[in-house]
Amino acid sequence: MGRRKKIVQECERLMDKPENIRNIAIAAHIDHGKTTLTDNLLAGAGMISKDLAGKQLAMDTEEDEQERGITIDAANVSMTHEWEGTNHLINLIDTPGHVDFGGDVTRAMRAVDGALVVVDAVEGTMPQTETVVRQALREGVKPALFINKVDRLINELQEGPQEMQERLQSVIADVNELIRGMAEEKYENEGWKVSVQDGTVAFGSALYNWAVSLPSMQETGIDFGDIIEYNRNDNVEELKERSPLSDVVLDMVAEHFPNPLDAQPERIPTIWRGDDQSDIARQMREVDPEGEVVFMVTDISMDPHAGEIATGRLFSGTLERGQDLYVSGTAGTNRIQSVGIFMGGEREEVEHVPAGNIASVTGLRDAIAGSTVSSVEMTPFESIEHISEPVITKSVEAKSMDDLPKLIETLQQVSKEDPTIKVEINEDTGEHLISGQGELHLEVITQRIERKRGIPVTTGEPIVVYRESPTRASDTVEGVSPNRHNKFYITAEPLPQGVVDAIKLGDASMDMPELERREALQEAGMDKETSQNVEHIFGTNVLIDDTKGIQHLNETMELVIEGLEEALDDGPLAREPVQGALIRLHDAKLHEDTIHRGPAQVIPAVREAVHRSLIDAQVRLLEPIQNVRIDVPSEHMGAASGEIQGRRGQVDDMYQEGDLMVVEGVAPVEEMIGFASDIRSATEGRASWNTENAGFRVMADNLQREKIMEIRERKGMKLELPASIDYI
Amino acid sequence: MLTFVGLGLYDERSITVEGRDALRGADRVFAEFYTSKLLGATVADLEAHHGVEIEVRDRAGVEQRPDPILDAAETEDVVFLTAGDTMISTTHADLRLRAIERGVDARVIHGVTAESAASGLTGLQNYRFGKAVTLPFPYAHGADGVPKSVTESVEANRERGLHTLVYLDIKAERDEYMTADAAASTLATDWNDALGVVVARAGSPDPVVAADRLSALAERDFGDPLHLLVIPGDLHHIEADALRELAGAPPELLEPI
Ligand SMILES: Nc1nc2c(ncn2[C@@H]2O[C@H](COP(=O)(O)OP(=O)(O)OP(=O)(O)O)[C@@H](O)[C@H]2O)c(=O)[nH]1
Ligand SMILES: [Mg+2]
Repeated sequence: MGRRKKIVQECERLMDKPENIRNIAIAAHIDHGKTTLTDNLLAGAGMISKDLAGKQLAMDTEEDEQERGITIDAANVSMTHEWEGTNHLINLIDTPGHVDFGGDVTRAMRAVDGALVVVDAVEGTMPQTETVVRQALREGVKPALFINKVDRLINELQEGPQEMQERLQSVIADVNELIRGMAEEKYENEGWKVSVQDGTVAFGSALYNWAVSLPSMQETGIDFGDIIEYNRNDNVEELKERSPLSDVVLDMVAEHFPNPLDAQPERIPTIWRGDDQSDIARQMREVDPEGEVVFMVTDISMDPHAGEIATGRLFSGTLERGQDLYVSGTAGTNRIQSVGIFMGGEREEVEHVPAGNIASVTGLRDAIAGSTVSSVEMTPFESIEHISEPVITKSVEAKSMDDLPKLIETLQQVSKEDPTIKVEINEDTGEHLISGQGELHLEVITQRIERKRGIPVTTGEPIVVYRESPTRASDTVEGVSPNRHNKFYITAEPLPQGVVDAIKLGDASMDMPELERREALQEAGMDKETSQNVEHIFGTNVLIDDTKGIQHLNETMELVIEGLEEALDDGPLAREPVQGALIRLHDAKLHEDTIHRGPAQVIPAVREAVHRSLIDAQVRLLEPIQNVRIDVPSEHMGAASGEIQGRRGQVDDMYQEGDLMVVEGVAPVEEMIGFASDIRSATEGRASWNTENAGFRVMADNLQREKIMEIRERKGMKLELPASIDYI
Repeated sequence: MLTFVGLGLYDERSITVEGRDALRGADRVFAEFYTSKLLGATVADLEAHHGVEIEVRDRAGVEQRPDPILDAAETEDVVFLTAGDTMISTTHADLRLRAIERGVDARVIHGVTAESAASGLTGLQNYRFGKAVTLPFPYAHGADGVPKSVTESVEANRERGLHTLVYLDIKAERDEYMTADAAASTLATDWNDALGVVVARAGSPDPVVAADRLSALAERDFGDPLHLLVIPGDLHHIEADALRELAGAPPELLEPI
């Protein structure tokens, strides 16, 4: 029997033993060494050849990943590891660190129960470290810490044992501060605080393949002094023999991350709002392989051979070929064509996959990343909330007419695979719009359309996405239907920020049972009566039905909502989406007969009224902003902060860290386009910098009109604002 | 002067003589056919027969931009045409009010409407009808199945022993006309064995009137549009006789009060 075949058999055997399974993700700031670590864990576990690992970043399989030297797609791998005499199956997801691909991290967290947070010992915790820890904790995923690149402390910074330990302690303290801030209860009582003593912290070098933890040090007798000796004497080979990376890290994984049996009872209530008394809830808590199939798709990818692959976490039941499964949000069922798991980095087809595993199947043509797939119709999982919405848009057009249909198909595929992308297809003009998290995000996608799908395209300059939002409470506005037989009385006002946040995080949604939603909204700052009349939530806007006993309103409400959504999708200023609006319906007068209060009447009446109420509420234009952090030698600090200030930005903080200065501030995304080359020339290439989308901010009054006109012109709208917009 | 003229039920000859005279004497003629239309005549037929030129306006051209009609009516004799009667199910009362607001004289010349055909052809007495309803196409009312207001109105009429006239949805711009068998099949989910009466092509030379269980009507084909449907309440003995004689109602369904 071949070696690979043997490993497959072993994996298949372990799949059926949930107590021996660990599902984990590796997450970190960009370049802190996730992929190098993943490679060397796989090599150490015998899943890939040692020569391939590490330097070549075997898990960054895509051509563009190799070229750019960063991870773009989260990668699924599996390995086996013996701990305390028992073999374990470790399903691991290597995630990208670049902030533009944060959606991959969030989705990965849904599939796993443990997050190995990697921090570069030299750089320490960075903005994305905080983000990924937050993503893990929000999903109820337990963290552990690997401090990487310790070799650099010794070889580059020439630190002694004392300095080294101090630095490591400070990284641990920083990470713990993040954990405590976001999950205090678990931090205090459930051992989620990471600590050397508990064995939930390990240190080492992913690149040079060694690591230590308190248990490993006790076993091997190696201490910090020895580590420094080995490194100084060019004897890392021996260190990695005596204290190999994969053993130390995988021991920590097996010992400290929960298995599915322990994890699922905790996680199900945080990610699923269905009836906790139901059979299906029990089956998910118990990881029941005999139960109904409940499969959460967290990743869609294209395989040249197998076609479209849906990967995700199987919470209950057993996946097999030929099953007909429901896909949330679509009608009918899809038939499973094949079932597989990951072996090393490759997908291996198997007969069946039982609950508790990360499975990868084909045949789910209606599924998108985020779908709930099940053998009975059920309440879907909470949508996977993405911390940031798209902020930047680019137009894409096929160079050749012949490619039109193929491009549309490809764009649809793109939005299935990556829900943080928004695609707007315009079949009339052929000029489609894709919106994403940043310049790189869009660049990668358009490049892949050209290279992988072979469709030559022309793309427009990146444009920023704007929002419109009311700034005060309006008076009541009357909306009249074209036939004048129907009237709607509507007001708009700003939605309290707490409520906006709760909606964004999925803490309050229309999918929740009504009582729970009411409570969540009240907690977020909505008054009681208003929370009882919530009729609809659209984006971060809420429709309140304050009417009483109006005949026929019930069956007209769908149309009211349609009109509302149209109005909010295309705001009154520049047809940008409206956010943070509380729209109240106070009264309505309706025609007796359905025909005279149909879509052609109700939708325009409501749309008009919502727009006019927003104008009366002094709707204003918002632009996306970014947090910016620049690490730079002190002689270039002035130039670096100048780069922020010169972009309508503001510098919030400057402080020393090691021998570098850190400049922190915020600036509009629009002004940050092209920042990369400007900061390079301003600082002779000595600055490293990070940005992170930080939501939307009202533009200064003196910029409003000009920007609105610019957008209107681009969209071919009238270059005249309604007379009622006299406040800007 | 703005004169509302109903064209009646079927073709260019269904108009009243008074209406015809107004039409032929008008300086300008406007019409709308988005709410209903004549099945037996095209606009060209109307123009040729009456020797006039007709300016057809779409929904927006009547509801949102009625100014050309009203402007013309300020100085000239303008006729506004619809199928049936201009003021019954196709309520153009609003246009009339707008005209009056602008000081334009407005008068109405009636046309024969489906309402009178529903009584006239079936023998069901107009005194004994309750609230009328329209059964919309499912896509047109934003919910599934039969709108609650329709169900409630039919139920309320039945409780009081009254007949319900069910208009069937017309989407003239899409050339879609709900047929009586489709309507019967929809309504049969609520009132399977109830008696229904179909009136097809009222006003034409070959109208069809048929009474049977809704579930049975759902299986039949009544030919070209337009159709309408009546759900009778309690039956007066003359009504029962009429349904048997004129509509072929199965005797076991007819229980006179
Ligand atoms: N000296 C040293 N370099 C390391 C170590 N681990 C990784 N590196 C280097 O750091 C760089 C980034 O490593 P990656 O593994 O690609 O980092 P990553 O976190 O996967 O990066 P993204 O996926 O793009 O976020 C590479 O040049 C690695 O060789 C380490 O332990 N020591
Ligand atoms: Mg990587």
